[in-house]
Amino acid sequence: MTAQEYAFAVIAAVGSISAIAVVTARNVVHAALYLVVALLSVGATFLLLGAEFAGWVQILIYVGAIVILFLFGLMLTKAPIGRDTLDNTHRWVGLLVAAGVFAGLAFLIQDAFPLDAEPFEVFHGSTSVVGESMFRDFVLPFEAISFLLLAALIGAIVLARKDEGN
Amino acid sequence: MTVDYHAILPELILAGTIMLVLVVDLFLPARLKWGSMPIGLIGVLGSLVAVLTLLGDERATFGGAFVVDNFAVLFKVFFLVAAVIVLAVSRHYIDQPGYYQGEYYFLLLTSFLGCLLMPSSRDLLMLFIALELVSAPGFLMAAFRKWTVTGVEGGLKFFLIGVLSTAVMLFGMSLIYGLTGGKTRLDEVAGALGKLDASQEAMALASILFVVVGFAFKVSAFPFQFWAPDTYEGAPVPVAAFLAVASKAAGFAGLLQLMFVAFIGQHEFWVPIFAFLAIATMTIGNLVALQQRQFVRLLAYSGIAQAGYILLPFALVTTDQAVNQQAFASATAYILIYGIMNLGAFAVAVALSKRSPRLLISDFAGVARVAPFLAVGMTLFMVSLAGVPPAAGFWAKILIFGAAISRGEVLGPLLAAIMVVNSVVSVFYYLAIARQMIFQPLEDTTPVRTPVLLAGVVGLSMAALLFFFLLPGTFSRLADISTLVA
Repeated sequence: MTAQEYAFAVIAAVGSISAIAVVTARNVVHAALYLVVALLSVGATFLLLGAEFAGWVQILIYVGAIVILFLFGLMLTKAPIGRDTLDNTHRWVGLLVAAGVFAGLAFLIQDAFPLDAEPFEVFHGSTSVVGESMFRDFVLPFEAISFLLLAALIGAIVLARKDEGN
Repeated sequence: MTVDYHAILPELILAGTIMLVLVVDLFLPARLKWGSMPIGLIGVLGSLVAVLTLLGDERATFGGAFVVDNFAVLFKVFFLVAAVIVLAVSRHYIDQPGYYQGEYYFLLLTSFLGCLLMPSSRDLLMLFIALELVSAPGFLMAAFRKWTVTGVEGGLKFFLIGVLSTAVMLFGMSLIYGLTGGKTRLDEVAGALGKLDASQEAMALASILFVVVGFAFKVSAFPFQFWAPDTYEGAPVPVAAFLAVASKAAGFAGLLQLMFVAFIGQHEFWVPIFAFLAIATMTIGNLVALQQRQFVRLLAYSGIAQAGYILLPFALVTTDQAVNQQAFASATAYILIYGIMNLGAFAVAVALSKRSPRLLISDFAGVARVAPFLAVGMTLFMVSLAGVPPAAGFWAKILIFGAAISRGEVLGPLLAAIMVVNSVVSVFYYLAIARQMIFQPLEDTTPVRTPVLLAGVVGLSMAALLFFFLLPGTFSRLADISTLVA
């Protein structure tokens, strides 16, 4: 195994454990903090693959912004933060489905990409390459997404606004 | 790279209109807030003119990710006409205290922008983003009656199931991207999937299943149908009309391209899945519709059953190109006719919602005496949905039936027989509405005031259904749109 593969094994283990902890944590704030670790390890995986842009965006946006928003959301909406507020009566069904999907996909993926297969050519997605293709080949999806985000923003304000009268 | 601006002109006009609606709303005084609607209407009509200038053209831009051909133009015309109808239906319904009108029209038009992009998207990434652009404003509009419990519940259910199925679909697309070595164009995906070895093919089939899940939610197919009745009931009626017609048609426009272009080589795997989906969706929709007491819920279950009929042609795919093209054309024809008759039915529901806000079917008793025009319109829409002459719904069903029979083997005629049984069952609840309106004694003598816009929409839908019934020759032109089927 190369150094890269050792690093991946460590990152994958940490990420998986914290991902499980996100759904098993009894406290919402703890779950959000575990999510930080899980998302950091996803970002680290991208960096390991040489996709520097995707890696840093993952860390900046998800860790830096989205989880922080979660925590602010929990604080400002006075959501029940204590123990046992996350309990779900369907947890065994959920566990069964998750285990089944995991087993099926693990089997299919290791069948399609066996460990001794020829490794893929690693594509170095440097920021300039990503930027160029985003604003040249993918400018139409980029503009469409801008409309999507604008609509989400405005719609969320409408729904969250407190009205007088009604 | 040069961009073919003429090809994307309809989208550009609509995008400009969306921004204009958003800005103008800031300056409108409270009692003129409805002013966003005529602006939107003019923009949609402008976009329609731009689409008509593309009639008969074959254009591709953005490296083939965005294509304008007969299929795309036909769907774009349909979506823009649907946009005109939904805008017209919304005018008086939304002009009530509590609704944010400017934001409503902004979200509605944004959703229609996604609809316009959908039939032109020949790329997995574009298809995904177009689908999300249709859905996301839909989630928000569905919860627009936020002061009611049903509104919030329906919106939340729609959002949660929608996000889950989107995540599954995107995961499937990412696996396909990996398996094909980074291909996203639909024709290139089809080529690359055909060259996989046996072990990778199994992975590809699982990915196709994931992608189908996302679209099955969008078109409310079994087992992803249970959000539809709650969401339609809780949402403002024009939004329910949008979700039942434009959003569903957009899902089918994407699904048609995926299955008939990108995944056609794997049809032996997914044909049985679609056969099951079609049978289960139409049967469950029809059986539950029989028990409904509320009109919008009835339309939701009817819409589920109708989605089952539209899924049927997918189960007819074989290695024979002529059969595939016939199946493709019959599905497209059904989607368009379904759109017209359903929009008409929703327009009547909006017209009656002032008189009986809860829209219970029992509220419709004897309405023919106070609103004969609406009653005649509703009867025609119900007859058409049931697939009985004299309305275009009859030909739409015959086309699918004919495609199923000409496919042959056991599966084709079997599916055709199940469809006929289902159509007979559906006659009961569709005609019960007509009977309620015409033959029951009138209980509530409040006169019904029908605004000109609503009457116009109902009249237009009726005329279209009768036109296509009397001139079924127009359907033979559909062969032109199936040229993209390999």
